[in-house]
Amino acid sequence: MTVTVDPALLADARRERRFFLSLSLPALFIVGLAAILPILWIIRQSFLTTGGEYTIGNYAKVLSSGLTWSALATTLELSLGTLAICILLGTPLALALASARPRVANLLMAFVMLPLWTAILVRTYGWLVLLRRDGLINAALTGSGLTAEHLPLVYNFTGTLIGMVHYMLPLFLLPVYAAMRDIDPNLVRASASMGATLGQVIRTVIMPLSAGGIFSGSVIVLIYSIGFFITPAVLGGGKVNPLSTRIERALSTFQDWGSASVLGILLLVLMALIGVMLLAARRLLAQNAVAASHA
Amino acid sequence: MSWLRISLTAFAISAALPVHAQTLTITTAGGDYGNAMKEAMWGPAAKELGYDVREETQSDGLASLKMQVTSGAIATDIIHLGSPEGAQAAAQSLLEPLDYKIIDPKSVPEGAASDYCYPFDSYGTVLSWNTKTYGENPPKTWAEFWDVAKFPGRRALRANAQDSIEIALLSDGVAPADVYSVLSTPEGLERAINRLEAIKPDVAVWWTSGAQSAQLLKDGEADLVVTWNGRAETVKKDGGAADYTFKGSVIGTDCLGVPKGAPNKEAAMKLIAAMTQPARVAKLTDFIAYGPVNPAAYEGGLIPEDRLKTLATAPENAGTSVFSNSEWWVKNGEAAQQAFDEMMAR
Repeated sequence: MTVTVDPALLADARRERRFFLSLSLPALFIVGLAAILPILWIIRQSFLTTGGEYTIGNYAKVLSSGLTWSALATTLELSLGTLAICILLGTPLALALASARPRVANLLMAFVMLPLWTAILVRTYGWLVLLRRDGLINAALTGSGLTAEHLPLVYNFTGTLIGMVHYMLPLFLLPVYAAMRDIDPNLVRASASMGATLGQVIRTVIMPLSAGGIFSGSVIVLIYSIGFFITPAVLGGGKVNPLSTRIERALSTFQDWGSASVLGILLLVLMALIGVMLLAARRLLAQNAVAASHA
Repeated sequence: MSWLRISLTAFAISAALPVHAQTLTITTAGGDYGNAMKEAMWGPAAKELGYDVREETQSDGLASLKMQVTSGAIATDIIHLGSPEGAQAAAQSLLEPLDYKIIDPKSVPEGAASDYCYPFDSYGTVLSWNTKTYGENPPKTWAEFWDVAKFPGRRALRANAQDSIEIALLSDGVAPADVYSVLSTPEGLERAINRLEAIKPDVAVWWTSGAQSAQLLKDGEADLVVTWNGRAETVKKDGGAADYTFKGSVIGTDCLGVPKGAPNKEAAMKLIAAMTQPARVAKLTDFIAYGPVNPAAYEGGLIPEDRLKTLATAPENAGTSVFSNSEWWVKNGEAAQQAFDEMMAR
């Protein structure tokens, strides 16, 4: 049996599609102008000498330098370290928030969001006040006799990690909290009524159902962390040098736009790789979950 | 006939009057510094020469110079640059050669001389220390700065090869006059880098901005800080437990250049010569602690005695300090920085 459709209706549908497409044009225009064009420009720049001739020399120079690879290692250590701590701290916090009474949850949420509304530079310098040799934390530790020596909390990897986690934790928390709050409380009650312990409830009900949120949070943390510049520059004391500081060096010390562009592309590729890997992992997990539920 | 007589008279009168004033444009960094230069230097000089000088301000002088020269729309006759930018600009043919027939070549000490950008004032990269940590007996030379056994304490250096490799060699016994000839050999650069690597375990912070270095000194986060004299002086004046010495400082200079193809080249050279007369660069120190490069400015009591202590180029510091060699840095900077960064990553 064939269904005949009124051609007027078809034309209407087409017009509607065109209308909606045209509504998105301003947004597409802005994305093109603010994201795609600069990236294309960076790609072109990465193939140019300072004199403006085409070359692959920039790639040879950057990729053959040991500094690039040690910076890449630092970038990964910082990002993965930040992610690990965010998962460890953020997941229980999200769970606590999601299971708290709404008023308490809202209040706690306000505390979590507070740092997000503070400028990153202010926050970073705030950490200096807390973490430096004669800072509040060290004064409290040595004053109370807990430690005999000042702890090296800042101008190193530790300080950088603290600053980055502080920045990223709220951004990680939001999607995880959203996912956990959407879990039907009846599922938790049902599993509990069937004799599941709290650990089992978390492991078999809450975690699988909030995996999506944890994935989204992880993607956000990794993508942001890879490009961090201010925090390592201020809290790293010159000893923590991820790719972003190499880019700054290439630009401000050498005026070497070619090398800086290659490093920028390296960052982009890294982000794309991480995105693809996480998506693949997520799909695999989802398939497993489906397989498990069918078994 | 009368109109002819009138116009002839008018012509005669206008010829007898001075031609309308020469107009020049000078580009400075603006702010307090720019105002100081206007009050002390080009303002009085312009009056003397009868020039009508217009001021432009620009925080990134090199970038704006490059834009003006490459686009062919040159809007300034004199531009104020840091000497490293001056040397870069010269290397990219963005500046006219200085006319040393108009400007006195003897007004610049040998180590600071440039063919393209005339150095007129200076600041020093100095050794500063926490007076609470070291009391009456602070380390006062770079060799002592490196002596961690005799002077234990946390060090802070700039996270940049510039000035660091110079002081590393000074600490290793290289004479100030020989620093750049030693650095120009591969072994010399390696020697400087090894010297920095030797002190690395005692460096608590490698700082990246002048403000940060001042903060480290003020907070006592580091006991010994390599910083710029203006920063150290500010901390000291604000009551911080800090002091510093110009002995062995690496001196950086700011300079005046004429953009390639500037509209009033010769007048610009004349104004540079006039505005950097000893009395005028001495007067600049009334406003800002940047020491004149011209040794004559220190003669005849042009600068009050007590102010000399705050100026990098004061005569008593001569002989121990090194003028940062901008041309060396333009030529070798990238290799030196590369070696420095590799040392930092080890």
